[in-house]
Amino acid sequence: MTYMRVTERSISTRVLNNLQGNVSRLEELQVRLSGGKQLARPSDSPAGTTSALSLRSDIRTQEQYLRNADDGLGWLGTIDTALTSANSQVNRARELVLQGMSSGAGGSVSARTALATEIEHIRDSLIGVANTTYLGRPVFGGAASGSLAYDENGTHLGQGGEVLRTIGDNTKIAVNSDGEKVFGTGDTQLFKVLTDIADHLRNDPSALGGDLGRLDTAIDAMQTEVADVGARYNRVTQMRDTADARILSLKTQLSDIEDIDLPKTITELTLQQTAYQAALAATARVVQPSLVDFLK
Amino acid sequence: MSTFSGISTALSALYAQRQALDVTGQNVANANTEGYTRQRVDMNAVGGAVTPARYSTTDGIGSGVTVSGVTRMRDAFLESRGQIEHAKYAYLAGQEEIHARVEEVFNEPSDTGIQSQLSDYWNAWHDVVNQPGDLAARAQLLQRGGTVADSLRSADDALDSLWNSTLTQVDSLVTEVNTAADTISQLNKAIVRATAAGLPANELADERDGLVLRLAELTGATSKSLDNGAVDVYLGGAKLVEGAAFRELKVAGAGSMRDVMADPSNPVALQWKDTGADAGVTSGQLASSLHSLNTVLPEYTARLDEVAGRLAATVNTQHARGYDLNGAAGGDFFTATTGTAITAATITVGIGDPAKVAASSVAPTPRTDGDGNPLPPTGNLDAGNADALAELATAAGGPDRYYREAVTALGVASQAAQRRTAIQATVAQNNDAQRAAQSGVSLDEEMANMLLYQRAYQAASQVINTINSTFDSLFGMIRG
Repeated sequence: MTYMRVTERSISTRVLNNLQGNVSRLEELQVRLSGGKQLARPSDSPAGTTSALSLRSDIRTQEQYLRNADDGLGWLGTIDTALTSANSQVNRARELVLQGMSSGAGGSVSARTALATEIEHIRDSLIGVANTTYLGRPVFGGAASGSLAYDENGTHLGQGGEVLRTIGDNTKIAVNSDGEKVFGTGDTQLFKVLTDIADHLRNDPSALGGDLGRLDTAIDAMQTEVADVGARYNRVTQMRDTADARILSLKTQLSDIEDIDLPKTITELTLQQTAYQAALAATARVVQPSLVDFLK
Repeated sequence: MSTFSGISTALSALYAQRQALDVTGQNVANANTEGYTRQRVDMNAVGGAVTPARYSTTDGIGSGVTVSGVTRMRDAFLESRGQIEHAKYAYLAGQEEIHARVEEVFNEPSDTGIQSQLSDYWNAWHDVVNQPGDLAARAQLLQRGGTVADSLRSADDALDSLWNSTLTQVDSLVTEVNTAADTISQLNKAIVRATAAGLPANELADERDGLVLRLAELTGATSKSLDNGAVDVYLGGAKLVEGAAFRELKVAGAGSMRDVMADPSNPVALQWKDTGADAGVTSGQLASSLHSLNTVLPEYTARLDEVAGRLAATVNTQHARGYDLNGAAGGDFFTATTGTAITAATITVGIGDPAKVAASSVAPTPRTDGDGNPLPPTGNLDAGNADALAELATAAGGPDRYYREAVTALGVASQAAQRRTAIQATVAQNNDAQRAAQSGVSLDEEMANMLLYQRAYQAASQVINTINSTFDSLFGMIRG
């Protein structure tokens, strides 16, 4: 029977290789533990890296959706407040028209003139409401670059179109209200109706009946828009909550992929330390004795 | 048979055992010398005269021992396997190293890598959607676009300097190869002379074999021993060292990474200095460096170029469809610092004025002055185009997806290199241990041998003593 030849050098080569292997595993675990990441470079897990990159990108996108939604809520909230105020003023105007009509042509001119003046004040105040701005932009002006949606005569200066906010994947929502939809166009445009009413109160009370009809059309249009804005506000709020929940879930997933499992890693580290110490102790025992020790 | 031949027999034993002790001493002294091969004294028994001659008689008993040589205990098969395994290991370790360096350049996954910066850039478009008229939001967009372009350029720069430092390394390694080949040829000459003169040249041979192994690590060269004691070193079928002659290598081909990418048919190559023919280095550290120079680094640079190209192409195409704050159509968002080709090395933001970001998708209304003459158009605060640009983040074929694919491909390649290196390291280390077992010095063995030689020396002395006392009694009879 022959034995494989073993020399001090072959023993120390093997022992050193094994010790090196032990130390490098120990180092790897310590690096992971101190860095808190099990995925520090693409080669640690190519598949995990793909997911980690996508998840990071998704998280940032969702965070942007949150910002977009917050901005949308600002727009819609501003519009809602403006329309609520406009609504009460328009209702007051309607009462005034009814007053003017009930007194009819026989009523006192000065009383009707007073009504007309109040209507004109309401109209000016409504134009002010129609020029409500959010962060410097008129919310009823669409894409127009000016700071006013209506001039003092009630002429529309805005540009149609929707101001869109992306608040979710493939979800865009208009956060403005088109001035022409809210305040009407042509003969039923609110400011023109109010101008006509003021004129008729002074000069031609008999035409007020027709004016009332036109005013009602304008009020209806406005109320439809109020309901619509409220619905959109709710939708943005819901999408915002969705994005919030999604960020939480994405961050959990990212942490699962990238971060170390602390108890597991600490256990592994302890095991590895024990293994290293055992290897050192064994090496010290194995390499020491030699024939030299026994030849006297 | 001479009367005194017994004494000369014992004397030959004294010489031989002492020489054996000397060699044992040399072995023990070099127990920890790197590359030292243990030596053994070959002893031969000297036979008696077998051809009878006149006046000469023989009793057929031999006349002692002679040392026929001192041999290096080396396993030629393990040695040549060692050369091959070391060359493979050097190649794979080089590949692992270069991939690790490229991974450092990409620095993913992180919150500061190019992926995160691209995300920030697309988000900046969303902010412009939210505030189309706000110059601050537009300026931020330009800054973020600039950050992406800067990162692409600095990654390209890092790969480029990696390429240059690898080429410098190749230069110095080639010098090392040439020096080693020179030294081997000189050692060959000395060894052949010593062998011819019948002198042992084991230490020279050890030094030469160490250099041959280093050549194998560098170039994947293999060696063949000759009867006269010299070795020939082969590289790609040609002889790098032939006896006392050697050939030199030189670095030829492309001088920069962009040259390699522009003309792949003229890569960096190792050629014979005398003929200019390709040296055929396919293994070892130099082959790994050549592979890094000609394939690995250009590949990842090309991928970065593709990211930059796709970013510029998709953004510029969409940007041109929109209108800026002044009502003018959008220009190129990304441009090249030099030339027209937009690559990772040249990409930069071409817009300096935040107002020139074409966020609107609504064409401006034509304006005229009082006389009906056209006036310059004015822009609007529509943000449809900015919105379309923000959506490019998830576009199929867009830069983000391509970038992620590139990082994943890098991860896979790097992981494969690491695993192959780990396996090859085990193979090479086992071979080293086997070689150390075969040719290394075992102190136990030397101690045992020492005892043997010591005892044999003592016994031979005793033989002389005994013969001497025999003669004493004979001479005593004469005197008596």
